Amino acid sequence: MRRLLPLAALAIALAITTSLRAETPTLVETPSLKDEVAQGKLPPVGERVPQEPRVMAMPAPGEPGGTLNMLMASTKDTRMMVVYGYARLVGYNQDYQLEPDIAEAVDVEEGRRFTFHLRPGHKWSDGQPFTAEDFRYWFEDMASNKQLYHSGLPEQLLVDGKGPKFEVIDPETVRYTWEKPNPLFLPALAGPEPLYIYAPAHYMKQFHEKYADPKSLAAEIKKMRVRNWAALHTKIFRPYHNDNPDLPTLDPWVLTTRPPAERFVFVRNPYYHRIDAAGHQLPYFDRVTLTIADSKIIPAQTGAGESDLQARYLRFDNYTFLRNAEDTHEYQVHLWRTAPGAQLALYPNLNCNDPEMRALFRDVRFRRALSLAIDRHEINKVIYYGLAIEGQNTVLPQSPLYKASYRSEWSQYDPAQADALLDEIGLTKRDGEGIRLLPDGRPLEIVIEDAGDSTEQSDVLELIRDTWAEIGVKLFAKPSQLDIWRRRVYSGATEMSIDKGYENGLVTADMPPVEFAPTTQAQLEWPKWGQYVETKGKGGEPVDMPEVQQLQKLYEAWFGVDEKAERAKIWHQILALTSDQVFTIGIVAGVMQPVVVSNRLRNVPEHGVYNWDPGAFFGIYHPETFWLAPEGSKQAVMPGPRG
Amino acid sequence: MFHYIVRRILIMIPTLIVISVVIFTIMKLPPGDYFTTYIETLRASGESVDLQKVEFLRQQYHFDDPAWRQYLYWAGGLIRGDFGYSFEYDLPVSEVVGDRVVLTVIVSVATIAFTWIVAFPIGVYSATHQYSWSDYGLTFLGFLGLATPNFLLALLLLYFANVYFGISIGGLMEPHYLDKPWTLAKVGSVLSHLWIPVLVIGAAGTAGMIRRLRANLLDELQKQYVVTARAKGLPPFRALIKYPLRMSLNPFIADIGALLPHIISGAAVVSVVLSLPTTGPMLLSALRSQDMYLAGSFLMFMAFLTVVGVFLSDLALAALDPRIRLEGGVSR
Amino acid sequence: MNETRVRERAAAPLEHFVSTEPFDPYSVEVMTPEQERFYMASQWRMMWWKLKRHHLAVVSGAFLLVLYASILVSEFLAPYGLTSRHDDYIYAPPQAVHFFQDGHFVGPFVYGFDYHLDMKKMQHVYVPNPGKVEPLRFFCHGDRYNLWGLIPGDLHLVCPAEGGTAFLLGSDRLGRDMLSRVLYGARISLTIGLVGISISFVIGLSLGGVAGYYGGWPDSLVQRLIEIVRSFPELPLWMALSAILPVTWSPILVYFGITLILGMIDWTGLARAVRSKLLALREEDFATAAMLMGAKPRRIIVRHLLPSFASHLIASVTLSIPSMILGETALSFLGLGLRPPITSWGVLLNEAQNINVVALYPWLMLPVVPVILTVLAFNFLGDGLRDAADPYR
Repeated sequence: MRRLLPLAALAIALAITTSLRAETPTLVETPSLKDEVAQGKLPPVGERVPQEPRVMAMPAPGEPGGTLNMLMASTKDTRMMVVYGYARLVGYNQDYQLEPDIAEAVDVEEGRRFTFHLRPGHKWSDGQPFTAEDFRYWFEDMASNKQLYHSGLPEQLLVDGKGPKFEVIDPETVRYTWEKPNPLFLPALAGPEPLYIYAPAHYMKQFHEKYADPKSLAAEIKKMRVRNWAALHTKIFRPYHNDNPDLPTLDPWVLTTRPPAERFVFVRNPYYHRIDAAGHQLPYFDRVTLTIADSKIIPAQTGAGESDLQARYLRFDNYTFLRNAEDTHEYQVHLWRTAPGAQLALYPNLNCNDPEMRALFRDVRFRRALSLAIDRHEINKVIYYGLAIEGQNTVLPQSPLYKASYRSEWSQYDPAQADALLDEIGLTKRDGEGIRLLPDGRPLEIVIEDAGDSTEQSDVLELIRDTWAEIGVKLFAKPSQLDIWRRRVYSGATEMSIDKGYENGLVTADMPPVEFAPTTQAQLEWPKWGQYVETKGKGGEPVDMPEVQQLQKLYEAWFGVDEKAERAKIWHQILALTSDQVFTIGIVAGVMQPVVVSNRLRNVPEHGVYNWDPGAFFGIYHPETFWLAPEGSKQAVMPGPRG
Repeated sequence: MFHYIVRRILIMIPTLIVISVVIFTIMKLPPGDYFTTYIETLRASGESVDLQKVEFLRQQYHFDDPAWRQYLYWAGGLIRGDFGYSFEYDLPVSEVVGDRVVLTVIVSVATIAFTWIVAFPIGVYSATHQYSWSDYGLTFLGFLGLATPNFLLALLLLYFANVYFGISIGGLMEPHYLDKPWTLAKVGSVLSHLWIPVLVIGAAGTAGMIRRLRANLLDELQKQYVVTARAKGLPPFRALIKYPLRMSLNPFIADIGALLPHIISGAAVVSVVLSLPTTGPMLLSALRSQDMYLAGSFLMFMAFLTVVGVFLSDLALAALDPRIRLEGGVSR
Repeated sequence: MNETRVRERAAAPLEHFVSTEPFDPYSVEVMTPEQERFYMASQWRMMWWKLKRHHLAVVSGAFLLVLYASILVSEFLAPYGLTSRHDDYIYAPPQAVHFFQDGHFVGPFVYGFDYHLDMKKMQHVYVPNPGKVEPLRFFCHGDRYNLWGLIPGDLHLVCPAEGGTAFLLGSDRLGRDMLSRVLYGARISLTIGLVGISISFVIGLSLGGVAGYYGGWPDSLVQRLIEIVRSFPELPLWMALSAILPVTWSPILVYFGITLILGMIDWTGLARAVRSKLLALREEDFATAAMLMGAKPRRIIVRHLLPSFASHLIASVTLSIPSMILGETALSFLGLGLRPPITSWGVLLNEAQNINVVALYPWLMLPVVPVILTVLAFNFLGDGLRDAADPYR
């Protein structure tokens, strides 16, 4: 009984916060849908919006209507509408805290029991109700069905290999319970590519062998040219791909163009669950069009004013051109921060096959020396106009876990100290060109491979080549091809790679430190150790470096703790160890991302952070609240959160 | 004549078979396949990989079968008209290629027409006014078109067309016409975008054609019968048109066969730069991502078109020139 | 009637006169020295004479000779080293060379730059300052280099003034001098054409020769082969073949791989020309005579037939080199050919292939000029050679 009290308090607290919303304002019919409502094709707005819609706060409400044009480079980019739309069960807000979105409220008890309260009256985009049945269908008829999910439940639903207990409490409430805390669950639901734990049951049942009429199912299988009903079902239910106009969805805009096409048109979802404070149903924009063009030409097209909102496929070096074209084409270019721990980092392969190089890479003095011999200031000045943040591959200043020493350790330009460190290791012999010799007589030449598609990387390597030559290390850059390069890294053939730093530099204590310990084969600094953990010992090699083993221990410890202060303590230990050991050599971070915003577009923050996870690029800034001001009105710049 | 046709058709078949084997080998040679590239691309962007789906597709399309069996599977499909499945677009190849072929044909036909219309009078003028300043000047212009790397020219024209004429960048028409039906305005928009690729792609072919026409016409003009005709008082213009020009048209027709693949592939590079929705960029990205069916089937289709094109042009040549017919197909 | 008159005339002795002057029966056939030179001239000499009359070809030939000669001393000619870069002169526009300062002849010089970084637009702004006169130095010591990678040196033909700059064609995004890069790039771009052409020449000659001389089934086989290769659209073939080149190869190997690819696809034109010429020539009398005298086919082809159309071959080859050069630029543009850190004109053009360059830094497109000039020169030279190849017209 005593134990229940704090839990009850927690539950009550969460329930209170959700009901402390403003009173639901009186709903206003959407102008573009008035005709259809009048003809009876659509129910009136009061019946389309859930009884407790989510009210979006904004400085001033906008006007519904208009078309938003964006440019994309491939038909697969229709998935960006799911990312930008950012309709999730729970999502991140602009402070990177989780808050309920599709769900009206989420009760979390002991970090292991999650109860989702849906919004009564919430409907799919085709008008059918969105209820607990959609969750049950997904969990019992899809995820637990061996034919649809060969390897079982998705790993974010597994704790110690065991899945949750799923219960339907009532048509608007579902509950997932694990025996131990599952900190990965909610972040997975809030991700840019979300974990879907619901599916439109009313639509999908016709493709499931348990519910469908066998004859019509067979006909569908034949029509779609698939092998069996499982392939058919998997093919139809791809909400993230967003390429099926018939699939009901909860996103703000619904696809109407069937691929392939050069231009995809999305129209508003009449049953969307968010409204503004004046009672308008969101989204404001009636239509969104994605025009497909070659990625190399998108900067040119954006500069000619052919996109109303564009960040994807624009790079920092396009800024000058876009800025110069601003006046003639009525848009503005903002610069948002990017959030990876480093724009570029060098990854010495601790599992590389060459024994000499491997021994050197495992020696922390060698890594430190290489890091000290990089003139980050020069790189910043030459390539990034001095706007980037120099330092190690670690968290960004905007993260609550940030400490200046994490960035600055071992990242000053100090060739003398680097020389001393290399001499200390024993690499004192040099050849005719001044390059140090390895113990077996070979010159110390490091081959850095990359995916070969970026001049930025080859430029940075040019600059590093010169400074490393001064300490007697020869750098050889070898551009490659994405998949070949990665496979070479995994197999240990690559000595060193260059790539983006940690994906998420804006970590908070509540986010698991997945990137800082060996967890997956895709980590370029220890692919074989990561593979070992990912495949649970079936592939790769076990970790045999004490410092990395320490990281693993800390990583596992984080999962055993559910108090924020405890988690923060573990995080700081991890960050300190990583900075001290320089497992990856970061170069600069915080490179700006140009964001082009048409002069008539409102509610787009001038400063923001353009990040994949968390952030969903535009997602956390809520594109459904962007609206088109009438022609001729001046751009009133909306200040964003501290960028 | 009949024998000639039959012989040529019979020879075409083994040619096509060999081409298909070569294409298949080339597709299979690079290490890995579509899925490995796909998986790594997703990983690199932080998105997750649905390995189950990948397994489905691998099994369904016999990716784990030995190479020769995959070849038979593909070739058999081709004969039946089944071009296979594109993993990149997640659709059958025929649906992906369908629209684009129309636009490619438009661009190609327009380019060929441009080449002829421009090359013809220039070539004739050049030959009849040999060694004059205009001869040198025009030849020089023609050569200039040949010598400029077309992708750079395309980019330049694109930018200046936008700055000075306000033509939207890239594509074959203004974006808002893309999904609308064909109206006069849409045709106008297409034309205003079409001239850049036609100019760029046609430039190189024009120069070659001018030179060839000039050379052949010069050969003909020196022959006895021309001298006789002029001596006998035939007006110079008629003496030019009626006999020598027809003789020198030989290479024009013979060259169609060679022109086709050149235009399709020259168009590919330019289309990438200009972002035209033609088959070139699609082929390029299919080759890059190793989308085997899309790339292989489309290449086969192009090779088939070329072989047929050569055959037809040889046929036309044989009809035109009795010497070829009688000598059994020894082309120049 | 004539017969009766002749018979009448034959009856009476004729009045005749015989000159006692010395008489050389061959006098009609003696030639003046000029005529002798003309009629006794070898085929090659006649070709040369004909070629000399084609002024454009001669100019082109001279230009190409200079260009190829410059490859030998690129390090000396370039004002800067291949890898030297200047952090303070990124995207500097070309500096014009002036000779007169305030009306006096000072010698070649450039104006120094006033530089500031416009942080609003992130643009490097360079303003030539007429006050800063930086005379160019000649035969001076500048950036160090290794001639041909072997011999160290630092003598340059032209260098910037001490502490000054001489970006005659501007600088790129890392502050590297474009003129130097173009000069170094010539080395790769020009030789790639030659290596590729020799490969295609060998293949074309052997296959065409076999087809033309023997006829019959070798001819049909080669013709089918030619047809197959020609049916392939070039681009996908290039792409596919380049994709086969292992990425682990060193740049030199990649370079040779590219030339191999270019050469292997290009031989068909040559083969067809060789074949048709041989088909015609082997019916000639001199070939028949050689055959009757028991000469082996190889001897007939090489010693008798080939020289008859060697001139055509040369013309063909000269006309094929430009397509190799353009092919290399196209491949590099697609990212399939050479890549940085190798410098070739194709690589330079690839780096210029974006909207920033066209709109803001157009001087980065200047490498297209040597490409065009070289291609034009080869075409004119080849045209001239081809016209000259048939000297009896």
